Amino acid sequence: MRVITKKPEVLAPAGTLEKLKTAMIYGADAVYIGGNQYGLRSRAGNFTYDEMREGVLFAEKYNGKVYVAANMVTHEGDADGAGEFFKTLRDIGIHAVIVSDPALIEICAMEAPGLPIHLSTQASATNYETLNFWKEEGLERVVLAREVGMDEIKEIRQHTDVEIEAFIHGAMCISYSGRCTLSNHMSNRDANRGGCSQSCRWKYDLFEMEQPNVHNSLLEGEPIEDFSMSAVDMSMIRHIPDLVDNGVDSLKIEGRMKSIHYVSTVSNVYRQAIDAYCADPDHYEFKQEWEDELWKVAQRELAPGFYYGMPTENEQLFGERRKIPAYHFIGQVLEYDKESGIATIEQRNNFGVGDKIEFYGPGFTHVYQTVESMWDKDGNPIERAPKAMMIVKMKVNAPVKPHDMMRKLK
Amino acid sequence: MIEIIATAESVKQAKALVMAGVDTLYIGNEEFGLRLPTSFSHAEIKEITTFAHQHNRRVYVAVNGIMHNDQITGIVPYLEFLQKARVDAITIGDPGVIHLLKKNHIDLPYIYDGQTLVTSAKHINFWKKRGAQGAVLARELTYEELKEIAKQVTVPVEVLVYGATCIHHSKRPLVENYYNFVEGNKPINKDIYVSEPKKPETHYSIYEDANGTHVFATDDINLMPHLGKLVEIGLRQWKLDGIFTRGDNFVEIASLFVEAKQGFQAGTWSQELQNKLNEQLLSYHPKERTLNEGFFLKDPNEVQ
Repeated sequence: MRVITKKPEVLAPAGTLEKLKTAMIYGADAVYIGGNQYGLRSRAGNFTYDEMREGVLFAEKYNGKVYVAANMVTHEGDADGAGEFFKTLRDIGIHAVIVSDPALIEICAMEAPGLPIHLSTQASATNYETLNFWKEEGLERVVLAREVGMDEIKEIRQHTDVEIEAFIHGAMCISYSGRCTLSNHMSNRDANRGGCSQSCRWKYDLFEMEQPNVHNSLLEGEPIEDFSMSAVDMSMIRHIPDLVDNGVDSLKIEGRMKSIHYVSTVSNVYRQAIDAYCADPDHYEFKQEWEDELWKVAQRELAPGFYYGMPTENEQLFGERRKIPAYHFIGQVLEYDKESGIATIEQRNNFGVGDKIEFYGPGFTHVYQTVESMWDKDGNPIERAPKAMMIVKMKVNAPVKPHDMMRKLK
Repeated sequence: MIEIIATAESVKQAKALVMAGVDTLYIGNEEFGLRLPTSFSHAEIKEITTFAHQHNRRVYVAVNGIMHNDQITGIVPYLEFLQKARVDAITIGDPGVIHLLKKNHIDLPYIYDGQTLVTSAKHINFWKKRGAQGAVLARELTYEELKEIAKQVTVPVEVLVYGATCIHHSKRPLVENYYNFVEGNKPINKDIYVSEPKKPETHYSIYEDANGTHVFATDDINLMPHLGKLVEIGLRQWKLDGIFTRGDNFVEIASLFVEAKQGFQAGTWSQELQNKLNEQLLSYHPKERTLNEGFFLKDPNEVQ
């Protein structure tokens, strides 16, 4: 039986140490995080050096890797101290940095030799000669632009041996990443320094101007549809074989701002699909339940981006938004007692007796049930768990395990 | 020495710009260059270059696209053609093209033009070390930042002193997608704009071409009132972009910058001359488009 031994890496976002640990437990091979400087997610939880140390130790227990995104496009003064920063990351044991700005690439290469550099998608690498350029500069990996199609990846793979990373899931810039300053011009917030105000997703008038200051609106539709430039999100869950067969080394999930609910769910699903394909590629079948699971944490519609052709109006958010069933993340299992069938749970959102809930865990396990009886940490019966982070016990109908998560329909 | 660099929309206009005294013409073909007033054929590029050289002027060719594989396969013959045509330099925004120049031993000087990404001296010097003979600065830089950059760069850097600023480049056909959704007909050959939801007076130009969709800032740049400051800090490569300023009006505006250059070189630059040239500029600028200094006067800390 044919088996694929060179599996691509599942690379998950981790805005915090808790998310890093969750991603590892839920099957990610690597995570990317942000430091306190030089990154693009100024509002994502960013890691202190101590947290990075702990994160690296934790990841290594899972044979996992931790990358730090330092993908800011620096202005004068922004790169100050970057040499020390990179040196510290290297000494902490960070496995690579993700950089797009040549100024930072140079500082990193000079000041922290031995720390591998990955070219960020912000640099819009779209052809094999660009990958070869960066390979000769000593980079270990290039993250492709989201505009690259599957046929192009195939061709790129044939012409270069630098590692290739490609996005498989999450939100997309509607522009070439890095080539949009709408936010700078409309909100005084620098899109390339972590301030993006997502102006592309606003609703605009579209018009012509035959005379100065006289705007003749061209908006059309019934009801009138505003002009907008908002992309739906990406999901490649239906196309894992193509990604593996075309030699992509790392499959990246977007979303350092997203919750542990999202990180655990998405990592879990892709882990399943990749393992299933690589274990027996000739009898692999896509499972609808994987996609259904991804929808539980989706914010927007899902589509395969540019992989199979130019995105049309169907891959943009126009018109009435389709209702996506929203799930609440309600808790996490801390312990499970086999004898009594009682789980100890840390609450994350209000739930209680009578709620239909779902447990899910690493390895894509699922338990569905209605909450029948609950107790507080002192053993007093309760009807609801209203307090954030409170510890509750509940009877479960099937075995669960620590790190399992709980969700319910909103 | 101040260098006036101007785009051209036709062979005729290119010649007129040379006669008006611009130092360098900036032209190209849209298969490899971004946001050009016209996509010139090989023959036209040759004719313009020959004419410019006869008058001791230069020609730069835009090869600043974000290249996909299919462009990469076609680009080597194009680069060889440009070398043969003896154009003076090309702009490059994709490192793959730099790699190809080297690999194929094509001796064409290049100016690094990574558009929005070129925001620091260290960035520019990185490309200098890899052979760039110059760079094009991002439009989102303030005077204070330009001053710092000018002190540290080791190659000449271009500043846009007149014309439209691209602030968004998508590979997607965003206007076409909109019209497909509303089942309407996309306007053809018309200048169209978008305005911000809370600022109905704004008018960002938007158009599509082979490279995708491009959105431009609501105000075109005019640094005529600030040229003195540029000269002071040593930024002397001045670019004029005529993508939305057509025909003779653009030539007139270019000649105003030529006059400004002469004023600086002769030591006759004055507030009076500046005011006069600026007033004339306003009269040639398209009435429906507004002008300002872009990010030039912003406090660097204002944009975060």
